Amino acid sequence: MSDMILFFIVQTGFVILAAPLVNGIIKKIKALTQKRTGAPLLQMYYDLFKLFKKTSVVSDVSSWIFRVTPYIVLATAVAAALIVPVTTLIKPVWNSGDVILLVYILALGRFFMMLAALDTGSTFGGMGASREAMISALIEPSIMVSLLTIGLIAKSTSVFEMMTFMQTVHNPLIHPVYLMIFFALVIIIMAETARIPVDDPSTHLELTMVHEAMLLEYSGRSLALMELGAAIKQLVFITLLVNLFLPHDQLLGISGITAIGISLLIYLGKVVATAVLIAIVEVSTVKLRLFSIPNLAALSFILSFIGFLQFFVFGG
Amino acid sequence: MLIALQNIGEHNNLFLAAVLLYLIAAVIALALTNQHKLCNLVTNSICMVAALIGITAAIIRLSTDAILAPVTILKSQIPFLLLEIKIDHLSAFFVLCLSVLALCVSIYSIGYNAHYYQKRNVGFFNFLYAAFIMSMLMVIISGNAIFFYLSWEAMSLISYFLVIFESEHEENRRAGRLYIIMTHLGTAFLLIGFMIMFAYTHSFDMFGSSELIPETAKNLMFTCFLIGFGTKAGVIPLHIWLPYAHPAAPSNVSALMSGFMIKTAIYGLIRFVLCYLQVEQLWWGAVILCIGVISAVLGVAYTLMEHNIKKLLAFCSVENIGIILIGLGVSFIAAAQNNDFLSSLALVATLLHTFNHALFKGGLFLGAGSLQYATHTKDIEKLGGLIHKMPVTAVLVLCFSLAISAIVPFNGFISEWLIYQALFLNINMGTAGLNILSILSIAALALSGALAAAAFVKLFGISFLGLPRSDHAAQAKEVPIVMNIGMGILAAFCLIIGIFPASFVKLADRVADSILGSSVAETLQPGFLSATVPLTVSGNSIAPGEVLIALTVVILVVLLMLRLFWGKYQARKYGTWDCGFESINARMQYTATGFSKPIRIVLSILYRPGRKVVIEEGESDYFPKSVKYKVWTESIFEKYLYSPVIRVLKSGSEKMIYLVQTGSVHVYLLYIFISILALMFYNRVV
Amino acid sequence: MTNYLDALSVLLLVSAFILMGNKRTGSYIKTFQFQSALVALLTGIIGINSFAEEGRVDVLIIGAIVVGIKVLFIPYLLKKTYAKVAYRVEKDFFLNIPLLIIICCFIVVFCYYVLSETAGINTGIINNQMVNSVSLILIGLFFMISRKKAIGQIVGFLVIENGIFVTALFAIQGMPFIVDIGILMDILVAVIIMGMMVFRIDEKFGSINVDKIKDLRG
Repeated sequence: MSDMILFFIVQTGFVILAAPLVNGIIKKIKALTQKRTGAPLLQMYYDLFKLFKKTSVVSDVSSWIFRVTPYIVLATAVAAALIVPVTTLIKPVWNSGDVILLVYILALGRFFMMLAALDTGSTFGGMGASREAMISALIEPSIMVSLLTIGLIAKSTSVFEMMTFMQTVHNPLIHPVYLMIFFALVIIIMAETARIPVDDPSTHLELTMVHEAMLLEYSGRSLALMELGAAIKQLVFITLLVNLFLPHDQLLGISGITAIGISLLIYLGKVVATAVLIAIVEVSTVKLRLFSIPNLAALSFILSFIGFLQFFVFGG
Repeated sequence: MLIALQNIGEHNNLFLAAVLLYLIAAVIALALTNQHKLCNLVTNSICMVAALIGITAAIIRLSTDAILAPVTILKSQIPFLLLEIKIDHLSAFFVLCLSVLALCVSIYSIGYNAHYYQKRNVGFFNFLYAAFIMSMLMVIISGNAIFFYLSWEAMSLISYFLVIFESEHEENRRAGRLYIIMTHLGTAFLLIGFMIMFAYTHSFDMFGSSELIPETAKNLMFTCFLIGFGTKAGVIPLHIWLPYAHPAAPSNVSALMSGFMIKTAIYGLIRFVLCYLQVEQLWWGAVILCIGVISAVLGVAYTLMEHNIKKLLAFCSVENIGIILIGLGVSFIAAAQNNDFLSSLALVATLLHTFNHALFKGGLFLGAGSLQYATHTKDIEKLGGLIHKMPVTAVLVLCFSLAISAIVPFNGFISEWLIYQALFLNINMGTAGLNILSILSIAALALSGALAAAAFVKLFGISFLGLPRSDHAAQAKEVPIVMNIGMGILAAFCLIIGIFPASFVKLADRVADSILGSSVAETLQPGFLSATVPLTVSGNSIAPGEVLIALTVVILVVLLMLRLFWGKYQARKYGTWDCGFESINARMQYTATGFSKPIRIVLSILYRPGRKVVIEEGESDYFPKSVKYKVWTESIFEKYLYSPVIRVLKSGSEKMIYLVQTGSVHVYLLYIFISILALMFYNRVV
Repeated sequence: MTNYLDALSVLLLVSAFILMGNKRTGSYIKTFQFQSALVALLTGIIGINSFAEEGRVDVLIIGAIVVGIKVLFIPYLLKKTYAKVAYRVEKDFFLNIPLLIIICCFIVVFCYYVLSETAGINTGIINNQMVNSVSLILIGLFFMISRKKAIGQIVGFLVIENGIFVTALFAIQGMPFIVDIGILMDILVAVIIMGMMVFRIDEKFGSINVDKIKDLRG
């Protein structure tokens, strides 16, 4: 029972609380590289608190879809967080999902987000939805191939099993298979979390925005929920990346509640490092033209496919 | 209760009763042809009863193990003509699938056919409708190849008449022509297959053994069956009749055609290839897998470009047939390698997806019918904002859209998950070619899932959300409640299978168990209707019920916390953001064409899109009178595969006609003479 | 050791794929530079290994020369050449980039298919590296086919050479010293000559589209 409570607290409470911090770090690093002071690290929390209080403005064209979408987006993000464990030291009691479910549960959120964007009859919404449809379709094959390749090596599609298996791999990043999957996953994260070079989170220019265009009609509490959902989804993908490719739980060699605490601290450290890395990528590259994104997606697919070939065909 | 029903009598009699009831429905429809309303009500009610009997019979058959003796309906002096029915688990499963669909469609038809009253011959339509269901049922339960062939032909012909039912439109007649040509092409191949079967075994018994047939002949038979059934299933490149025939038929018939008729081909493939021929060659499965991948990806790619709602759904059927064939291909491959467990698993996935597709595709076609009923148009560019006018239909169509995009917690996800698992288990160290094929199939499945989601966001978003794009859409009214009930039952099934997958997987598992002798249900955990029991396949498990609970709990907790800490949700109505200009109108919205444009450009190699801008000059260059922008996509298969073939055939026959048909009676007599001599010579030699 | 070599061989393959996805002449050169750096690194690792085990220094020397010529000099030369020609972005391809990348993928699979039956290299880990490096050669060739501008042909040619060099390294830990040096000199001369040819083509046709050479037919 205590295991169960611990699991739910860590997987939901911890993830929800930590998620906005990642955005804060990325924004801070970006500001620092541009010689600005930037907003405080906790700015997103302040924003959320304020937005929760505010009255929403709802388009009179819209229907119930527009109103329920923020809740669905948040709920799917939290459900996805339940599937991806932040530490392998806590045994997941909620073993109801695997990577395939992870992908399709995020698809549920995305489906509703695209519908909500079309619901208001706004041109921006339609544009965002149409672009999101393209990007998600292009990136989907590489998500499946890359994650299932690791699953094949670990002989399970469960994320927990995969992470436990990766604990036993010595230094995955020089292994040809994991190296390829790692790079593929980095591209996937950029696309899925609406980051440069695929999408620019800080823009409101119709030529460039994708994710923001879908949120354009949202305000007040609904907007806060959508933003929080996006932040959680981002943290879920980062967790997937760091826990698969930078395993550390085995190194601790101890168990018990202290070990879990240390493990979580190390995990946070890795997340912060990844956030810094993302910020550096964001400031050092430019947003790609929309029709260059297929090239990036093709590259990501090829990376995961080569990774697969190295192991299952060439026999790595 | 089941046992009680079992005691009533031979289950086969129940199946016969269902057939008979459909026949009675058809006859009554003809008899009452002058009283439209009564005729419609009576026929559909009888069909509903027949469907209910079918469901009961199928469930009883699936829950018993005994192998039943064949029931002979008719023996005659004509050689080979033996009408007998034989029902094993496979047939029973397909009967279940058909009956559930027929039940819902019949309920729906009571309302839907109302728009034919006093305009068309409702009696004749209902006669064809009942006869069509009956012919499909007979295909599934027939006990020998000749009866199968006759029912198959009957099914094709009746569906042809249904396709051209609204024959005053030229395009419907063309669609019918294309359909009848393609379907007969396929049937011809089937006939060749059956003849080879008879040549070696001297019997048309398709439940018998194929040991006497040599390997080359088996390969040949497989090829014939693949082409024959593939044409009916609409696999690429034999799919060209599908996007024309399905939109031409009335919507309730399209629901049956797309929901079940194309599945009879899947039944045929399982029955004749997996059960009769016993897959021995690895390449059979590999070929089916490849065809499946191509159909899945190209089918959904073309889905995305269509704006005619029924054409869109027809292409989507091609995609789903592709997904079904991916599962079937893995099953064949595993069967050839004697991996019974994997073969069973893949077959279960295939059957479940067949069943699921019948539910949601049937539902979507009914939804398309409702839209047409309310707005009199099939073009989604003319719709919009219908969620306010037709709230119930909107919810139901949304359910089907989610289900067909394989999104949790609906049934589409369950079967796709099983197919993913089958492909996952199909990858082992050492078999390089198969591994590459399997991982590419996984990628294709993922791609088609995401593209399907895009297509159905487009379908739902453009037709139900936003502002109405035409007067028809603005004045639409909710359809009669009967129609929504028909769709509602299907939607309920979609959700129930999605949440309680274990029970339905077990149903399909009975079939796989009886064919391949290996049960996957043993690896499932016990519990029949429990939502929290995970579906487990060799260690990997999902529990969609728990996911649904988690989603609900999260939403409730969030609502509660927001209410407690930040007070009541407050909203103010205001117009959509219009950048400070005048308010948004319907013409400023994104269109379906616009929505699919990014993908059209990215996958331009599949579509070969073209565009044309026509500007009518006004008084000044800056104020043109009108600007017309036209964009189109080409159907490459018609242009680069069928047209050349037709051209060659046509020019060839034009040349031949004067060589063969000289007009001289003597030459014609000579032909007869030579034929007789040749036949005699052949007889002597062989 | 083999893990590092495996990772490097895969990275080399990926660099070829990245090259295939590039559109700008500037990034062609950068990617080539990156690839050559990987080759140099690989040579360095194998060189250190052979020095430690057998006391040979020739592979290390070749590594140094590779750094000098392929990582520094040739890219510099190419950059200088292309600074003078106005065409920076490759706009028209015979096929679009994702398709090209997918074809490259099939090339890799094909290489595997061919090499898996070749006797002698089918034992153990070497197979993996061989497939990657032979694919590198073929992708280089395919790169030459797919690009219309003359720079594509030059870079493709260099990639082929990288591929051959790497294949030799993987297969027999480096060719004899004198052969390697000879090949490197040949490459250098070839690039210089091709660079001059590009000027000529540009002068003659006002474009460096290799397609235009077709006009020379009478």
